[in-house]
Amino acid sequence: MDGANRDGAGREQDRLQARASEMELIREAQAGSRTAFDTLVRQYEHQVLRLALHLTGSEHDAEDIYQDAFLKAYRYIGNFRFECSFYTWIYRIVTNLCLDQLRRRKTRREDYAVVLDRSGGEIDRLASVSDDRSFSNPAKELDRKVLGERIQAALEKLTPRERMVFELKHYQGLRLRTIGEMLSTTEETAKNTLFRATKKLRAQLAELR
Amino acid sequence: MNCELAHERIVTAAYGELPDEQTHELERHMAGCPECNTEREQLLALKVLAGAHPVLEPDANLIARSRLRLEEALDALPPKRWYERLGQRMMNNFASLQAAPLAACLLLVAGAAAGSLGGYQIAKYRATHTAAAAQTATAERVRPQPVSMTEAGRPAPAEIASISSIVRQPNSEMVEVRYNQVVPQRLQGSLDDPAIRQLLMLASENSASAGVRDDSVGLLAAECRAGHSCQAAGIRDALMVALRYDKNAGVREKAMEGLEPYVAEDMRVRDAVLEALMNDSDPRIRTAAINILEPVEADTSVRQVLHTVANSDRNPRIRTVSREVLSRVPEIQ
Repeated sequence: MDGANRDGAGREQDRLQARASEMELIREAQAGSRTAFDTLVRQYEHQVLRLALHLTGSEHDAEDIYQDAFLKAYRYIGNFRFECSFYTWIYRIVTNLCLDQLRRRKTRREDYAVVLDRSGGEIDRLASVSDDRSFSNPAKELDRKVLGERIQAALEKLTPRERMVFELKHYQGLRLRTIGEMLSTTEETAKNTLFRATKKLRAQLAELR
Repeated sequence: MNCELAHERIVTAAYGELPDEQTHELERHMAGCPECNTEREQLLALKVLAGAHPVLEPDANLIARSRLRLEEALDALPPKRWYERLGQRMMNNFASLQAAPLAACLLLVAGAAAGSLGGYQIAKYRATHTAAAAQTATAERVRPQPVSMTEAGRPAPAEIASISSIVRQPNSEMVEVRYNQVVPQRLQGSLDDPAIRQLLMLASENSASAGVRDDSVGLLAAECRAGHSCQAAGIRDALMVALRYDKNAGVREKAMEGLEPYVAEDMRVRDAVLEALMNDSDPRIRTAAINILEPVEADTSVRQVLHTVANSDRNPRIRTVSREVLSRVPEIQ
């Protein structure tokens, strides 16, 4: 028990130290340090791209979201007042850009299973997913491709906010409270939105079960 | 718990967000509700199906391209001018204040409390000094002792009315002395003015100057002899006090003159005069007491005192006068 407590205390201390060093970076960036801002970008760029890529299905769109998000962060970092974590703040920018993207784009159902690279070439999403079984089955591969398309189509039926909440909860693993902060709403509202999203998805995918 | 609520909590529980006590409550419901069990199974199936749309990790090329593009864009931005940075810093400071409503409220409350306390102290100080001025309305006649203010600005002894308390701090050489200060004031009015009368009565008791006491007792005695509402205002009592206790014989003589009209009707005045007859050190006072006691009737104490004085007074003339009064006025019993 003592060892667990010490580990817990140690992790908390590490977290506080990390938080303190991040605050220093933010202050330096607010003071105009490009190096400090670049360091912050390095810390969050992976998560930003992962979210944008999964939501948009396009590397080009994901790059645009990455660009817009960090340019906005650079321009408005002086307004950051440490009322929330920088993580929440940057994610709030990214989710808003993603929501704008979801509202604007016209989807093509036949592209759901693939990701477009920068040149427009297709990257088979499902081909990069490891299969639990020791052999690959072409029939099963096709089934999974169709299934992926159906999932994507069902997700497209959600409202942008429902899609975003489901994305952040199911795929990104964030807590409802954090999701509420990112979407400038309450945890309860995020919970209700998740409930509606799962209900719609179950209705859409009923015949697949 | 109804099924509608249970359906919502199933979703929350499936994503690990349901509090423990609600989980227990949900499990109890699930134990007896096949429909909700089906609901949970469907949700879990959805979670499995959603895995068919996996999250891809961005590859290194994507990251590198994105980073390079961002750096080019940042390099192309013009640098912030000094006034833009200054304005930003001021906005941040202002925002910090806005973001601390509790601190702002506390500051406001503290300021209001300090202002109220200060106002109360000032009002209290003024009230104290107004009362002190009313008591020292004749202070104009009192010549302050020639002691100047100290260099530290402490009040001179002549300005101190009284000492109210002395407290020594424990284990310390520090002593706190509370005192009341005298502020010279002036009041002008007629002898019928209650405020003037009040000040005259105070002067008859508290003034350090015999001349002031003599003037005040003389004026009060004149009022009593003139029959101007002497008792109701407490003037008669002030004269009796002056007769009994004033150190100046002239003051005591004037007090007796003022009490003369009331010797016959007021036993208290008669007693004061009898005391003066027996105890006053000045023969003029004792002689005056004998003279004003003559018309008293049906009061054995007067006769007894006259007998005592006729036999034991140290002044022979007073003994003689006492005997003459006793022989001349048989009505005095």
